[in-house]
Amino acid sequence: MAAFSSLIKKNRYQLINLHRIIKAQSSFKIVFTLCFALFFEVGLFWLFLDGFNFLHRMGGVGLIIISKLFDIFFLGMGFMLIVSSIVSSYSTIYRSDEIPFLLTRPFSISQIVLYKFFESTGLSSWAFFFIIIPFICAYGYHENMSAAFVVWNFLFSIPFLITCSGIGTVITIIIVRWIPLGRYLRIPGIGIAVIAAWFLIHELLKYRSITTESDLNLSMLLPGFTLASNPLLPSYWISEGIMLLTGGQWLNGVMFGIMITSTSMVICISIEWVGQKIFHEGWQRLTNGSSINERAPVMLWWLQNILLVFPSDIRAIVMKDIRTFFRDPVQWSQALIFFGLLALYFSNLRTFRYHTFPENWRNTIAFLNVFSVSAVICSLGARFIYPQLSLEGQGFWILGLSPARMSRILLTKFFLALSCMLLVSTSLMFLSARMLNAAPIVVVVAILLVCSISAVVCGLSTGLGAIYLDISQKNPAAIVSGFGGTLNLVLSLCFMLVAIIPFGMIFHLNLLHRMNNHQMYNSLIIAGLWLVVLTVLSIITPLYLGLKTLLRREY
Amino acid sequence: MIEICNLTRKFGSFEAVSNLSLTVLPGELFCFLGPNGAGKTTTIKILTGLLRPTSGTTRICGLDMQIDPIAVKKLIGYIPDMPFLYERLTATEFFQFTADLYEVPQNKVPLLCDESFRLFGLLDCRNVLIKELSHGMRQRLIYASTFLHNPQVLFIDEPLVGLDPYSIRLIKDLLMEKARAGMTIFLTTHILAVAEDIADRIGIISKGKLIAMGTLKELLALNNECKNLEDIFLHLTENDN
Repeated sequence: MAAFSSLIKKNRYQLINLHRIIKAQSSFKIVFTLCFALFFEVGLFWLFLDGFNFLHRMGGVGLIIISKLFDIFFLGMGFMLIVSSIVSSYSTIYRSDEIPFLLTRPFSISQIVLYKFFESTGLSSWAFFFIIIPFICAYGYHENMSAAFVVWNFLFSIPFLITCSGIGTVITIIIVRWIPLGRYLRIPGIGIAVIAAWFLIHELLKYRSITTESDLNLSMLLPGFTLASNPLLPSYWISEGIMLLTGGQWLNGVMFGIMITSTSMVICISIEWVGQKIFHEGWQRLTNGSSINERAPVMLWWLQNILLVFPSDIRAIVMKDIRTFFRDPVQWSQALIFFGLLALYFSNLRTFRYHTFPENWRNTIAFLNVFSVSAVICSLGARFIYPQLSLEGQGFWILGLSPARMSRILLTKFFLALSCMLLVSTSLMFLSARMLNAAPIVVVVAILLVCSISAVVCGLSTGLGAIYLDISQKNPAAIVSGFGGTLNLVLSLCFMLVAIIPFGMIFHLNLLHRMNNHQMYNSLIIAGLWLVVLTVLSIITPLYLGLKTLLRREY
Repeated sequence: MIEICNLTRKFGSFEAVSNLSLTVLPGELFCFLGPNGAGKTTTIKILTGLLRPTSGTTRICGLDMQIDPIAVKKLIGYIPDMPFLYERLTATEFFQFTADLYEVPQNKVPLLCDESFRLFGLLDCRNVLIKELSHGMRQRLIYASTFLHNPQVLFIDEPLVGLDPYSIRLIKDLLMEKARAGMTIFLTTHILAVAEDIADRIGIISKGKLIAMGTLKELLALNNECKNLEDIFLHLTENDN
């Protein structure tokens, strides 16, 4: 126990020292980051409030949606927390340099796993609170809730956070221990996967089988409502408990509070148990096993052959980056989660019967999907493209000393990122438009917009990544969360808005019949020219500045 | 003090350590040599509990790491070649943290800290964040904190990586002094001159198998044509390259 408490004390020291690190930062960076956070929170609050007001004005269905939104919100947050915990606990528990250190100190394995679980939960919690604060404030304000509503939200959120994050951590520990499956587990594992897939398809087909309009009702339209009201889910306990306690129904409210708290405790005990039983095997498998596995002598040799048309230095950089990406499960699994969820949503647009909506609504949804894809493009740019130069690490001098010109290195990185990004973003956009049967003009504009945003995000991320190069940092999360990473994300999001809003306004005015079709096409041409100029400038400027910084730099 | 019995560690079909058996006596400074990939670090990792053996046993001070890991960890110290340090702690805070870990009485820590930092030349940077320390200073700090709980057995993987000549002399003298005082030291190095200078006994491992063991004199006697440890090492491991 003394050993464990020393870890707590160590964390306290680190927290105290944080101010020294912050003091070393420029005040411009601090003010910029704080202003961005504040702007983001206020913006989200305004967005949520505007949404509630819109639903309220709709009346009928809108009011039912508002009453169910609280359940849905926590269901969604719970799902996101589990997914983010799977990702963050993998890097915090398995990829941390601290683990070998702790393993050779007098800690039991269960103590180490539990300690790292809390660290991982702490890392995911700030984003959780960052999102729920504006939502809760907007919901409470709109529904005229008392201040107790906010307090209950805070108190219920902590065990909910531990529960969801804990589920993610347990999944990670199990995955790392047994996947890829060994020879004997492979057949049962594939069997379970097939049964799970069959069950999922069966459930989805239930919704597809409804063909007549009269079958449509709210729960069929939004299957999430039914799921969110399932009394076996912790998200239901938290939303119900908060509402009951705010409404003064103490007994039932406290019962839900006890349920969520005891569940979080059971989860902690489970992590301790699972950690003690299988963590070490998984950690060994990960840190020592992978290098021994027999691999093909050259990964993706066929791609290397295709790239023979390019000069050798470009081919070398491209192949190195692609191989590094595919050999790092953290990188490709996160990219898969980013786009996989969006692809799942788009491919189910018909399940939710959006394609049966009137044409105007379908076009609006198709256009709103540009926002979803663009937001994911911005996140991917920030997470994967921005840190790629810094992640070259101390080995950057190899590139620096090579006969390859720095401009070629930078442009190779840019075009490689752009090719990958375009492939995925245009496919997603095409899938969305196809599922919605959107009008051809909307499809063309949507695809052009994501192409432009992809190109600018790649240019900004590569250029700013060169300007704020940090070769001493090994952790991509730390690189991304630095000043340059934040600036990159802010500028990418700003460009996204500046690019999309003019087109959105044109379609909106046409929808309201304030602009006829002829005027709409003329306006679209002007907006298109504006987009081209903006795109070219936003690509060239950061790349040029990035190149100048790299050329000036000493390695 | 360190007993390794028929130790084997496999990674898939690859055998990193193969049926290794050896004993290191109390107060002995044992140097474990071998070419890259021979199995030195794997052996140290098993002895310190970072890896589990595929088969065989290891006992430290009579205790089995697999059965009673916490008790063993309290008796040992381990310095890896690229040690991990908490970058956002100061040197003193890291020292205090280590003292807490090993339950060193609080009232003794300031004195131990002073003595240790004086010995390792860390006094001037005691309140500097670790991230701001040079590699050499970090190495000194890890030595200072490892010796803090006075381990009975010390494992060191490449003890002199990145150190200046002053630090090398300091570490060599310290290790010999600690061994004389009864500490058992098991170290791996590629600097054969260090092994010649300080080792009581030397073991050479190649492809996971122990191929030679003894004092320098014994090894020289067994390999008549060799003049020094370097010759012996190159002669015995030439098939590896």
